[in-house]
Amino acid sequence: MKKHIYFDHNATTPVSTKVLSRLHEGVALWGNPSSIHWAGQQTKTLLRVARQNVATALGVSPLEIIFTNGGSESNNTVIKSLFQQFKNSETRNEYITSTVEHPSVLGAFRYLETQGAVVHFLNVDLQGNIDLAHYKKVLSEKTVLVCVMAANNETGVLFPIEEMVKLAHDVGAKFHSDCVQIFGKLPLDLKKMGVDFASFSAHKFYSLKGAGVLYSKKGSEILPLIHGGGQERHRRGGTENTLGIFSLGLMAEEISEVSKKALAVEALRNHLEKRILAEISEVTVTHSGAKRLPNTSSLVLSDVDGETLLMSLDVKGFAVSTGAACSSGSPEPSPGLLAVGLTREQAQSSMRVSLGWESTLEQVDEFVDTLNSVVEHLRDLNPNYKKSKMKQVLASQLKEKR
Amino acid sequence: MSDVNNNIKSKGRVLVAMSGGVDSSVAAALLKEQGYEVIGATMQVWDYSSCDIEEGNGTCCSSIDVDDARSVADRLQIPFYVLNCEAKFKAAVIDPFLKAYLEGKTPLPCVNCNTYLKFDHLVRKMKELECDFLATGHYAQILNDDEGRPHIFTSEDSWKDQTYFLFTIEPEIIPQLLFPIGHLNKPQVRELAEKFKLTNAKKKDSQGICFVGNKGYGQFIEEHVDRKTLDLRAGLIRRYPEGRVMAKHPGIHLFTYGQSKGLGMDHHEKLFVIKIDADTNTVWVGDEKDLFKNEVEVVDTHLLSQINDGETLNVKIRYAHKGSLAKVFKTEKGLRFEFAEPQRAITPGQAAVMYREKQLLGGGWITL
Repeated sequence: MKKHIYFDHNATTPVSTKVLSRLHEGVALWGNPSSIHWAGQQTKTLLRVARQNVATALGVSPLEIIFTNGGSESNNTVIKSLFQQFKNSETRNEYITSTVEHPSVLGAFRYLETQGAVVHFLNVDLQGNIDLAHYKKVLSEKTVLVCVMAANNETGVLFPIEEMVKLAHDVGAKFHSDCVQIFGKLPLDLKKMGVDFASFSAHKFYSLKGAGVLYSKKGSEILPLIHGGGQERHRRGGTENTLGIFSLGLMAEEISEVSKKALAVEALRNHLEKRILAEISEVTVTHSGAKRLPNTSSLVLSDVDGETLLMSLDVKGFAVSTGAACSSGSPEPSPGLLAVGLTREQAQSSMRVSLGWESTLEQVDEFVDTLNSVVEHLRDLNPNYKKSKMKQVLASQLKEKR
Repeated sequence: MSDVNNNIKSKGRVLVAMSGGVDSSVAAALLKEQGYEVIGATMQVWDYSSCDIEEGNGTCCSSIDVDDARSVADRLQIPFYVLNCEAKFKAAVIDPFLKAYLEGKTPLPCVNCNTYLKFDHLVRKMKELECDFLATGHYAQILNDDEGRPHIFTSEDSWKDQTYFLFTIEPEIIPQLLFPIGHLNKPQVRELAEKFKLTNAKKKDSQGICFVGNKGYGQFIEEHVDRKTLDLRAGLIRRYPEGRVMAKHPGIHLFTYGQSKGLGMDHHEKLFVIKIDADTNTVWVGDEKDLFKNEVEVVDTHLLSQINDGETLNVKIRYAHKGSLAKVFKTEKGLRFEFAEPQRAITPGQAAVMYREKQLLGGGWITL
């Protein structure tokens, strides 16, 4: 049997054994939660329990939880809802986001620009710092919404949301944070962060695809993206994905595990990076000095084509990614990596390793061993690498002579 | 760990270039059946989002075909990857294709695709993925000579034979190439596709050039070359040989040697394009007899095996040509062929490819 080792948890996570073993309970409740009768009531209860679990996990009220179909929908809902509310305002009509947001955020803002909105994009530097000076400069009483992710999907870098929220609130702007990547990887305190809105996705937390959450702080109005039968208190139309929500509710019960798991995963990630840096030449870790998610490592392996590296590792059973999952099949290097200042060449030689709760030390060691031999093989076949090696050898010989 | 297909004993690992068509799909299936460890790959060479290809009627590289290749790979339970080659394809195939038409030639893009993508880029991928062989669905065969050295020979199906497109292959990679369907004919390949239950068993054969789509060359060129450049190629149509002006034409890219339809002239006699003079943008038209020539010179020759000066070989001057006997002579720039019988519409931009009986020996590019 071929061995499969999965190190791509920022793309999606495997469904937990707990969720798998209890899925049939959710399948058995098939009634429409909006129905008055017994069948509907059972499913209504399922939703209520899940909503309570998620609210508890996030430290917020169940009324503040809107179930959606995932992170992209949650992000679009907030951004377009605020735009609808403020599009005719003459005093408040600007938006602020970062250049490294998820495509669902960047895409929504690019759309808003076509509708006449003014959007400011904050840069992130090579060290992983978001440009706070620029933020303070563009943030004003004209700002409708600030939208910055808590953790980046590609490099895992964390942004100072709490500090940024305070500044936004000082000028009366709302703050939305895409929390899809941080959810389940680090403990999260929404109240302390102070955000008005936040997005979550079930499938990044060992649950099913097709369910997500939009947190909307009490007092913040949300206009529906999908109009329909008044579900989710008229904030999201359409019959709920009860099975997906059920699975997320089950995992929400495990939220207390996160801090412990984060430590274990971080130890593995650090071991992985330490070994790779020690054993493979010409490798850098992007944003290595910054606060990062404990599971993520974004590496640049010079003179190695990321796409080929991925295939070679896949053939041997290892699943990793270059940048984001959405970028596969695209000739362009990851825009997120280019945005933080990597060259095209570096971005094309990048690989993202994202570990998960079920990752083990043996897997990490096996991965590094394989990576080492694959990188050596690929570099041997790369004429550019040979040339640069030759140059180095010649240069050092020249030095010795002198 | 490295055994992707769980074969107990593998005959080696093969990278199969899968276009999504029946031929390369059956090639992959046969290799799997023969006990090779198979990895499938499709080259994404062109952005087809703007093409007018009807659904289920794709040509050899449309995006529908990537899905077909993937479904075959799923059926065979082999790993499958899409390799993005758009930039390389544009530089090595599309740009020279456009340039050739503007120089009054009729290009042969499939040879460039083989030279720079299939048997170069994919050879590198084969090595990178630690494969022992590269396989394609070409109708061609690799057979050993008396000393056990492998050479390329024509396919058993002489109608489908594709060795004409393979004359630029580097001889040293032949030991690593596999053409698994070269000993079969097309109906047999389709039968095997049915036997292997491949989803594309009934798919139509690709026709013409994959990236041109249903629009035709003229429109493709006009969509990809700016108006100014095209206008510089407008000129006169003259009667061969005396030079009488017959009409004006909007660009030499709209003509090919031997063409008789769509000349855009009001004339009673049947006329053919005899010659395209790119220096003056003149299209010469004349009687069919003037299309015949006994000689052709080729440049940028590529040899897979040694040939002898003055040797009589079988020479094909276009893909659909059956081949004619010609004596071959070395020249300063390449080779000269003297045909036993006059040949119709020897066209610059096409290749003249040589065979000794069924063995592919090499070829060169036809020039004026």
